[in-house]
Amino acid sequence: MSALFDGALWPYLLVVLAGFLPTEVWRSLAVVLARNLDEESEWLIYVRAVATAIVAGVVARLVLVPGGDLVTVPLGVRLSAVAVGLGFFFFVRRSLLLSVIAGEIVLIGGAWWYAAH
Amino acid sequence: MARDGHWVLQGMRAGIRSQQGYVLWATFVGFGGLAHDANFPLGAALLSTILIWAIPAQVLLIEGYGAGTPAAVIALAVGLSSARLLPLVVSILPLLRSRRGIAAQFLAAHFVAIGAWVEGMRLLPPLTAEARIPFFFGFAGTFVTGGLIATVAGFTLAGFLPRPLALGLLFLTPISFLLALARNARDRVDVLSLIFGLALAPLFAVYGGTLDLLWTGLVGGTAAWLVHRLRKRRWK
Repeated sequence: MSALFDGALWPYLLVVLAGFLPTEVWRSLAVVLARNLDEESEWLIYVRAVATAIVAGVVARLVLVPGGDLVTVPLGVRLSAVAVGLGFFFFVRRSLLLSVIAGEIVLIGGAWWYAAH
Repeated sequence: MARDGHWVLQGMRAGIRSQQGYVLWATFVGFGGLAHDANFPLGAALLSTILIWAIPAQVLLIEGYGAGTPAAVIALAVGLSSARLLPLVVSILPLLRSRRGIAAQFLAAHFVAIGAWVEGMRLLPPLTAEARIPFFFGFAGTFVTGGLIATVAGFTLAGFLPRPLALGLLFLTPISFLLALARNARDRVDVLSLIFGLALAPLFAVYGGTLDLLWTGLVGGTAAWLVHRLRKRRWK
């Protein structure tokens, strides 16, 4: 048993036990809950609003309080990159890809400039 | 059945052409790099892309592994962070209802993560009910396949990439999610939930503890829905 926990198989077991099971529980529960929901129901509008707010929350956290290396990029650069991406999308062209690239140029450029100075 | 094949192909074509897909694959390049840095084996990283298929949970797992966090603690963190999958799945599944039975629903639910949800909510409604499931499996399968290739690419590239570009990869997830939400927001309730979620997240990040994302979703979503209800009633 201990060989299993120390050995080369451990990362794979970790993926199944600590990754797959705790995520799939929620998806399976959702299948059961969704069975009797009408596509147009007011409940579904509510659930969609909660889902949208959660994804927006993920975005805000990743930009404002990132857990990883992104925190080394100054907050002003991160916020400018978001503003340029959104501005491009709404005022220049409604293209997801081009707007992402516009925001990325600001972020990478800013990260490069701060690393050089 | 021949029609199914047609719709699977149409779904794959939509997956290959999806800008959301390109951005999603780029975040998997970043994930592959992260796995390399944490000394996580490539095979296990690929298995996590297939079995977990949710970038935030995968990142938590690999960061936990790298830091030597106990498995039970990692499982708890992954479980808590993945509660957000529930409303995503609940809101997309009514679009994927058919006579194919419950097994197809469970399999479809497994492929729902933020990227596939955003694209599904945009691409599925115009299709007929019978076309939606094969179409969904076509594009979700394309997303996963591209995600696997990207994981390998990131794992291999890690260490070669200059630091500003590596930071740019990490930034792809938030910027693409945000723009996809903005593109998908058609009704007032969508716009309000987006704004409330953005505004509340920093507050709950400080005061909400480990469940902060759920609080953001519940409070922001409820507030957006209440405004939508009140406005609707006034117009009647």
